[in-house]
Amino acid sequence: MLFRIDPSAPEPLFAQLSAQVRSAVARGDLSAGERLPAGRDLAGSLEVNLHTVLRAYQDLRDEGLLELRRGRGAVISERAAQDYRPLHAAIATVVATSRCLGLAPETTTALLKEALR
Amino acid sequence: MIPNRAATTPDERNRVPHRVSTTWWTLGLPAVVLAVCGTLALAWRSELPEPLAAHWGPQGVDGTSSFVGLVLPVIGATGLLSVGMWAVGFFLGRPAMTRRLANAMAAWFAVFLAGVLLGVLAAQRGVADAAHAGDIDRALTLGAALATASAVAIALLTPEDAPHSTAAPIPADAPTVPLANSEQITWVRAVGQRSGPGIALAVLTFSAVLGATTRQWPLAIVLALVLGPMLIAELRWTVTVDRNGLTARSGLRWPTLHVPLDEVERAEVVTVRPLRDFGGFGLRIGLDGRTGAVLRKGPALQVHRTGGRVVVVTVDDAETGAAVLNTLASRAR
Repeated sequence: MLFRIDPSAPEPLFAQLSAQVRSAVARGDLSAGERLPAGRDLAGSLEVNLHTVLRAYQDLRDEGLLELRRGRGAVISERAAQDYRPLHAAIATVVATSRCLGLAPETTTALLKEALR
Repeated sequence: MIPNRAATTPDERNRVPHRVSTTWWTLGLPAVVLAVCGTLALAWRSELPEPLAAHWGPQGVDGTSSFVGLVLPVIGATGLLSVGMWAVGFFLGRPAMTRRLANAMAAWFAVFLAGVLLGVLAAQRGVADAAHAGDIDRALTLGAALATASAVAIALLTPEDAPHSTAAPIPADAPTVPLANSEQITWVRAVGQRSGPGIALAVLTFSAVLGATTRQWPLAIVLALVLGPMLIAELRWTVTVDRNGLTARSGLRWPTLHVPLDEVERAEVVTVRPLRDFGGFGLRIGLDGRTGAVLRKGPALQVHRTGGRVVVVTVDDAETGAAVLNTLASRAR
């Protein structure tokens, strides 16, 4: 699992972290039962505050992607590792249609965000 | 296996450090142990029966030997093992781990074999007939305990690697990942046994068989309680590449393999055949002098470290790990 954060980016650091875990799960790079590094270790590696990592982990737990257990650390939940294939197929269709119509990527993502609200 | 691109001269790069210390611990100390043991054995000789009891079975003594026939093999075996360990430390001892293992093994064998010999002899001092020789169980236990204590002490006394940083750039053909200057990046990957229940079952079965065959149930239960959790933790390693370099640590955080960023010459992916390359699994020393955390066969992250050292960690997606390590090392130069 690759974690990368950019302190100069507008997005808060905890959001950058949780977004990477989300997409790693969606891509299938992280599967159910897999453990994320301990908050202290990850914070040390990335030179960020421990609370930044914990905030990201808590957000992911609230979404049901992570299970945080005392002594066991942060584990990807069973629910998180569902089959994303239908979603990937649908996204491929959206991308193809958007390209076909000559839309700017921003327009498509804006529409998606709107629809997901 | 040794990179030619390092900025150091070949002589400086290839020199195995601490050869005097290695020679003392692997040859000198066993020689002293043997000398003490031999002197004691000779001093006791007049009080010993001839032939001597040399083998114990369930019903007591079931094999005898002459004095020379008992002492000579112990000296020979200790000598052979010591020379073997000396060769490992002297020729392959670039990493401290190799020197430590060679020193500790040489001490363990010398102390254990000498202890067993002295125990066997002590059990029959003043005994007229070898058949009436005393029990040697305690001597064996004591010998093993002393040997282990000496090995641990000598492992701790073995000199560490001196810091050896390099400013040489990472070779241009080494794999890297794109990274903005403001970005921080970390690659974390777990490797090894995931099946806690499987290991627990294996340990329980082993302990049950041991308990049933030896009738030493307390020992079997303690073994299961200690060995089970230890194996589960030790067979699962976490590999991290970050601004500190490469760190591979077992579940209990000991042992740990660490290569600081400023000692990385380059990282790459290799294929590891555990038995052929390292003679097995675990924290290993290869015949070619590489050290490694070998937890499975297949692709591994290999790091060329300063001082002619090469470190290998079997881990999935080693391509990314190697690329991130090269990138971070390159940025730190």
